[in-house]
Amino acid sequence: MKLRLDTKTIGFGFLAVLVTLYILFLPPPSRFYNPHLGMVMLGLIIVAILLGFPIAFTLMGLGILFGFAALWRPGVPFTENPIFDSMVLRTYGVMTNDIIISVPLFIFMGYIVERSGIIDRLFKSLELAMARVPGALAVATIATCAVFAAATGIVGAVVTLMGLLVLQPMLKAGYDVRMAAGAIAAGGCLGILIPPSVMLILYGATAGVSVVQLYAGAFGPGVMLALMYIGYVMIRAKLNPKMAPPLPMEERNVPALQILRMLATSFLPLFLLIGAVLGSIVGGWATASEAAALGAIGAIVLALAYRRLPWERFKDSVYLTSRTTAMVCWLLVGSWVFSSTFAVLGGQRILEQWVLSLDMSPTGFLLLSQVLIFLLGWPLDWTVIIIIFVPIFLPMLPHFGIDPLFFGLLTALNLQTAFLSPPMAMAAYYLKGVAPPQVTLAEIFRGMVPFMLLQIGAMVLLVMFPAIGMWLPKFLYQ
Amino acid sequence: MNSLLLTIDRISAVAGKVFAWLIVLLTAIVGYDVIMRKLGAPTHWAFDLSLMVYAVLFMMAGAYTLSRNGHVRADLLYRTLAPRTQATLDLLLYFAFFLPGIAALVYAGWEFAGKSLSIREASSVTGSGLPVYPVKMFIPVAGLLLLMQAFAEIARALICIRTGRWPERLHDVEEADVEQLKAIVQAAEVKGVTK
Repeated sequence: MKLRLDTKTIGFGFLAVLVTLYILFLPPPSRFYNPHLGMVMLGLIIVAILLGFPIAFTLMGLGILFGFAALWRPGVPFTENPIFDSMVLRTYGVMTNDIIISVPLFIFMGYIVERSGIIDRLFKSLELAMARVPGALAVATIATCAVFAAATGIVGAVVTLMGLLVLQPMLKAGYDVRMAAGAIAAGGCLGILIPPSVMLILYGATAGVSVVQLYAGAFGPGVMLALMYIGYVMIRAKLNPKMAPPLPMEERNVPALQILRMLATSFLPLFLLIGAVLGSIVGGWATASEAAALGAIGAIVLALAYRRLPWERFKDSVYLTSRTTAMVCWLLVGSWVFSSTFAVLGGQRILEQWVLSLDMSPTGFLLLSQVLIFLLGWPLDWTVIIIIFVPIFLPMLPHFGIDPLFFGLLTALNLQTAFLSPPMAMAAYYLKGVAPPQVTLAEIFRGMVPFMLLQIGAMVLLVMFPAIGMWLPKFLYQ
Repeated sequence: MNSLLLTIDRISAVAGKVFAWLIVLLTAIVGYDVIMRKLGAPTHWAFDLSLMVYAVLFMMAGAYTLSRNGHVRADLLYRTLAPRTQATLDLLLYFAFFLPGIAALVYAGWEFAGKSLSIREASSVTGSGLPVYPVKMFIPVAGLLLLMQAFAEIARALICIRTGRWPERLHDVEEADVEQLKAIVQAAEVKGVTK
């Protein structure tokens, strides 16, 4: 039999090696005590997740089974096992969480903006305004995505929408396929980093860090990353105009008045809405959920004013909101059930002792944790990493004197790379779905590599100069 | 058989879609509350009520999301497998994890809501005094819907193991459905926005 090196072989081979190492690492079952059971549970969850079963229910099932075993006492009837109370309290905890309530509201706002197609007006106005800069179309693409990212909390369908909107025009204008694909994919994933990011809400709820401070902190790195993308595109276009040819003369010489009118009608309203939403959160005028509700109302008004919200689209937004909310919130229910059992078993202590015994410097710990998150980001969805794996590191942060706020910003930036790293990189597959047949998946991946390197560069910058993220929250709240 | 499965899908979808409209109510309640507060007349019920609306919204969408295969899964390896292998794995894991987990949720939720109902428990977070047992009742109800949907998913896996192909699902609005998104972009061109 010939050995084929495809994802399947590598993946399952890797999984087998991992499981074997893990079993060797554990003591023999006769010397098991509860924390080891916790480690078995943690190992099982990774294997079960990689087998592709819906993660929320894997977490819930494992939490119940291990919790039932851990809390079982002879003589207590099986229906009286305390795990049932613990489970339902955790579930009810998600149902009454006044931070997570902003998740559906921000998701709703994002879908309204997305489904009403406001993004194409935005792009047209920015394209006109930037017609003279090198790599105009790619720069306008990234700028559109960055503004759009400030109106939505998830990645959603931005890559697909932008792919439909700008890929053909860019290729027609003579852009290099890789440059065009990279700009769309990288820009389209900014939504998860730039506030109002759902990722930061989940991190805040898990780590007990104020979402307001996280939002204030994420402005710096988010804007920096978008500017780095734009700078990269402009430099490449300047050095090698063949990659991104300038627009023809007649398209560049648009009267200033027309540009202004276009910006005033298509860019300004959305920009003001975003400014009001984010400004009122960061300025302490409204809570995240209140600002999100007002933002959703504003988005509906805006879409109606543009006459771009037919009933069908509104209905679609409502249904998509319910499904995405259910996906996030049931995952939280599962992970809270799982983590309470993990805590009962005391698995956390083994991990903590092990990490502390390595006697690392704070930088060493930061490096280890971020490399682990980076690697986990290849096969796993960001939600899983934020909800299951990041909490493992959180209790260790005080030992190293690391601010959980800073750790959150770094993690959010880190998980950006997960969207662009093959083979999981959903952005590439979405883009491939709308690209003309001559654009191959391999070319899209190659186009994304420089942007991924920029993301890593942004992380290095943030570690070297924490003020990029920490300055604004410190300035506002201390 | 397939028509029974699609009926179950429809029940889950109807429940999810009816309660999905709560997002509009939630937006309105929170928006109304913040405006009234700035006007100096805060409501005493909005905080409690908004949490209840949010809770019912996502609990009741669980089965709907499952019927559309919308719960997040890491399919890096899964999608490289033959449908038959996928179905076998799913079948095993439904019995190993899903059924124990959700059955426990139904049982525990039933007890939880029952206790709350027996004392007519009211909210103590703010002074609204709204009853909380109706919301707690949604825990076992949402769990039962999920169990029913899981039955459909298990049957689908069995069909797939027998025939080697996944049975068809109902069509619905999708996150990245190219045709739907194309319509959004084209609507703009027709209206002359893009030039």
